[in-house]
Amino acid sequence: MPKRSRLDPAVDWIRLETTDEDWKAADPGLLTGMLAELHLIRAFEETVLELAGEGLVHGPAHSSIGQEGGAVGSIIGLRSADGVNGSHRGHHQFLAKALTHVSGGRFDTGALVPDEVDTVLQRTLAEILGLAQGFCRGRGGSMHLQWFEAGALGTNAIVGGGVPMGAGNAWAQRHAGTSDLTMSYFGDGAVNIGSVLETMNLAAAWRLPFGFFIENNLYAVSTTVQEVTGEARLSGRGPGFGIPAWQVDGMDPLAVHLATEEAAERMRAGDGPAVIEAEVYRFFHQNGPYPGSAFGYRPKDEETSWRGRDPIERVTRQLLDLGAMTQQEADGVREQAVQAMRDVASRLVEPDPESDGKRRIRPDLWPDPAFVDVGIRGDASELEGVRTLEPLDHDGETRSGRFVDAVAGVMQHRMEQDERIVVLGEDVHRLNGGTNGATKGLAKAFPDRVLGTPISENAFVGLGGGMALDGRFRPVVEFMYPDFLWVAADQVFNQIGKARHMFGGDNPVPLVLRTKVAMGSGYGSQHLMDPAGVFATSVGWRIVAPSTAADYVGLMNTALDLQDPVLVIEHIDLYPLTEDVPVDLDYRLPLGKAAVRRSGDDVTVLTYLSMVRHALEAVEQTGVDAEVIDLRWLDRASFDWDTVGESIKRTNAVLIVEQGAQGTSYGGWLADEVQRRFFDWLDQPVQRVTGSEASPSISKVLERAAIARTEEVVAGLERVVAGMGER
Amino acid sequence: MASVVRMPEVLANVTEAAVANWLVQKGQTVAVGAPLAEVETEKAVVEYAAEVEGTVLDLLVEEGQSVAVGEPIAVIGAPGEESSEAAPSGDAGIAGGAEPPVAADRAAIDEQAAAPEPETAPEAAASPVAGAPTALGAPHEGSGGAEEGGRRAVSPIVRRLARERGVDLARVPGTGPDGRVVRRDLERFLAGQPEPQEAPEPAAEPAPAPQRSAAPEPSRAAAPDAARFDEVPLTGMRRAIARRLTESKTTVPHFYVVGDVRMDALLDLRAQLNDGGDVRVSVNDLLVKAAAGAFKRVPDANATWAGTAIHRHRTVDVSIAVAIEGGLLTPVLRDVGSRSIGDVATASAELIDRARQGRLKQAELEGGAFSISNLGMHGVKEFSAIINPPQSAILAVGAASARPVVEDGRIEVRRVMTVTLSADHRVIDGALAAQWLAAFTDLVEHPMRILL
Repeated sequence: MPKRSRLDPAVDWIRLETTDEDWKAADPGLLTGMLAELHLIRAFEETVLELAGEGLVHGPAHSSIGQEGGAVGSIIGLRSADGVNGSHRGHHQFLAKALTHVSGGRFDTGALVPDEVDTVLQRTLAEILGLAQGFCRGRGGSMHLQWFEAGALGTNAIVGGGVPMGAGNAWAQRHAGTSDLTMSYFGDGAVNIGSVLETMNLAAAWRLPFGFFIENNLYAVSTTVQEVTGEARLSGRGPGFGIPAWQVDGMDPLAVHLATEEAAERMRAGDGPAVIEAEVYRFFHQNGPYPGSAFGYRPKDEETSWRGRDPIERVTRQLLDLGAMTQQEADGVREQAVQAMRDVASRLVEPDPESDGKRRIRPDLWPDPAFVDVGIRGDASELEGVRTLEPLDHDGETRSGRFVDAVAGVMQHRMEQDERIVVLGEDVHRLNGGTNGATKGLAKAFPDRVLGTPISENAFVGLGGGMALDGRFRPVVEFMYPDFLWVAADQVFNQIGKARHMFGGDNPVPLVLRTKVAMGSGYGSQHLMDPAGVFATSVGWRIVAPSTAADYVGLMNTALDLQDPVLVIEHIDLYPLTEDVPVDLDYRLPLGKAAVRRSGDDVTVLTYLSMVRHALEAVEQTGVDAEVIDLRWLDRASFDWDTVGESIKRTNAVLIVEQGAQGTSYGGWLADEVQRRFFDWLDQPVQRVTGSEASPSISKVLERAAIARTEEVVAGLERVVAGMGER
Repeated sequence: MASVVRMPEVLANVTEAAVANWLVQKGQTVAVGAPLAEVETEKAVVEYAAEVEGTVLDLLVEEGQSVAVGEPIAVIGAPGEESSEAAPSGDAGIAGGAEPPVAADRAAIDEQAAAPEPETAPEAAASPVAGAPTALGAPHEGSGGAEEGGRRAVSPIVRRLARERGVDLARVPGTGPDGRVVRRDLERFLAGQPEPQEAPEPAAEPAPAPQRSAAPEPSRAAAPDAARFDEVPLTGMRRAIARRLTESKTTVPHFYVVGDVRMDALLDLRAQLNDGGDVRVSVNDLLVKAAAGAFKRVPDANATWAGTAIHRHRTVDVSIAVAIEGGLLTPVLRDVGSRSIGDVATASAELIDRARQGRLKQAELEGGAFSISNLGMHGVKEFSAIINPPQSAILAVGAASARPVVEDGRIEVRRVMTVTLSADHRVIDGALAAQWLAAFTDLVEHPMRILL
């Protein structure tokens, strides 16, 4: 018979309920502020539903009616410098933060809507309608509401997708020496997704001032919480990660407020994250103006019972009971909120002259269609005045060393110069510089700025994204292998890549993501991709792929200067090479400048990374008079069309050379661009060298057969020669 | 269903062409892209390929016979048709056996006649080899891509350059994959270089290592004669030489005047010129210059036959025959009369150099009334040359050698060279040729006058 003893979580898991004493003790100004915000949000949401019913809201309108109490109760006590981010159902979270920012959470019931409140309401509604005056210039709409100034970090249409970024904001707050915190709002549906659970683990490990605020409204669209989890008391997730948790009635804003106060005290004191589960209820279906019962997934009597617990009625009743407000005043708050929204709407929509009795968006308020691509990335003006150096022309002092030492060396140098730089990734702090020595010496020199992460790429790259959006730090994230981008795809592509543009185009995302191509190392199908193609065809990323150590230094320096996410691709074949690097590690390589590694007249070979050497070898072996261009910058925005175009106009033939598998290859988009830009200059189809269709296998022979090296470039050059006709 | 093969419009605006050689025989099965015939016009001989597969039911014109473009020249039966309709060769009945295919021919021809005018298709008209589309059925699977359906593949850069330079692409043979006209083809065309020897690979698969370096391997002919010779396929240049010089020798009334020229003074002058000079002057340069001087004295000889008139040239342009691997080229030195000997030497060396590199432009091969061909360096005593049409004369130069010469009644040893002028009697009469040769001899023997 084994000996068994009971284990308990190391942290508290608490249900918090208010008593009459709590209401009496509460600041009447706070309660009035809650009522004001609740009414303003309610009237706002009613207006949204009304406009949606008229077909004036493009896309979904996820109403928060019924569950305003959780957001208002938790946010009204926060500072402007505290951050919140939220989910697809985020109007109430955004409005609570923005209204608290402009009002301090205090409202005059006689003059509920001063100008600054009116402006918040109008710009928020404008955003939801997709209009130029919206907080995100109409780009974000209902599901992407961001106002950095107010600490509203952005709501998110990917379930749980904003949570890792929120943790990054919390990291920055803590490491900037503040006692600010960040609260991330998500629903019962999101509580089971990896982004949330990975971030719980990471936030607890790093003791971040980060609140996980679960709005448990019992339904993920039509699926009940009991159906999808064995522990429907969702705050129970916290203790498993070592995070204390509170469960409160979200229809009681004061209870939420008090729980938040307790949690915030811990967070601000540096004791780490908290989970707050607020039980709330959306009075309507997932979106639109009909109740859930109309769709048959919940009974009417359940809806009636929750409607009886409306947070507005709760706060009103308490204020009346306390004698802090008269019924007439309470009615006046509602009337002013409704009137304010009527006024706001009338400024954005007008009677439709072509359709009697209908309204339309005022036509002059739409964004200019020319704005469509503005702000995908920055304008690179941050690079103005930096000292550039072209290693090809450098005749100053150089030092000989291994490529991988230049990788670590330039990072160490930059970290000495720039305290904002933080390195994070798996094992980057151990093993004398991670798995390949690429972060050698950094942890010793900067123990607080070199962070070994849990194995959770989605969470830690997303956390990096949040740090970048905050702007006080410059995250340098490492993916040990490029294929892990699929594990982290939501954060890499949906969040980091799109964040600037989606929220209006103004907020920079200075993040460097390093990874190494490892084809040839025998790591097999799930580790050996070249990520260039996937990143090049995804929006928002800049990409550099240095083929020499001297280029690496200059390109990394430029990448760290840029206000955009930059993927820096390395290759294990390059790491051990001994090369000369300028002694001074401060130089930058200019943005968007390729290097002609060999001049020639017969064919333009476009290549990058380790394939530059293979291409040069192949040219040597075949004797083809090829011009070999080392692209250096691979993304659409940074591509050196001047150099490439000049060459193609001379050679009239193009061979794009890369190492990896066909499907996710880089050259596809490039071949497309080349043929459209230079069709009349081409003498033959754009030729390609890639690996095979399969991802490289572990078997040495099959791996070699799956990837391109010198021999495949030779074959590619021969195809080009065959295409040139007879001499 | 049989298809009628019609005489293609090998070159734009050519109205008539001949089948130089049939490359197939009646009863032979052909695949799409297989050569049917060599079609010859005044300017080109082009291999004409089958556009449909099937069996050759009939050849309607004889070798050497010229017919109008668009006339039927052959009938090809659809695959399978041969079994029922093709006449078995040989003794399958003189009357009955031969009849059905002819009937099939007629039916096919009639049907074609009822079809819309094929020549109106611009792409077909632009194609040197596709000509009028003759296939009645849909293109066959696996047929040679580039020229399928009469469309000719031309690379984008070639289209653009041809447009800019006014080149008629129909005249440019394509050697790229599947016969695509590629940049090199256009450059070769512009340089007037002959087309390469080999038809391009019908490369469905990328060709392995390029094998373009040497002339094609002589192939053992399959015929019984195989043991007795190696068959070397004709190059374009060889074809051009054969055609042009046959035309010249058979249509131009040649006559010849021969003279001995004392070379001592000229060779001494050359030695002085080359002693410390920057430019190396060849004997040939001096002869070119002397020839120009002779034309200056006898301008009536500087003329060419133009059918309905004689063109008298205003400048003296001299072609120099340059032997290159596989043939010869005759680049033209312009306006030799007004150029210094140094200038002529430099220009000549440069032209010869580029001729050997295959980098001459077409324009550099055209014009002039006169050529010099010098075989003296090979020890030839004398020879007579064939006029290079449309020119009217060519001077064949032998080796300068020490010979006894009677001067003032005494025998002296002099270095003497024999030259032979071939002249076109339509333009240059005997006396005129003699005057020219006398002027030339005088200049060579008093070479300081060349330099004036």
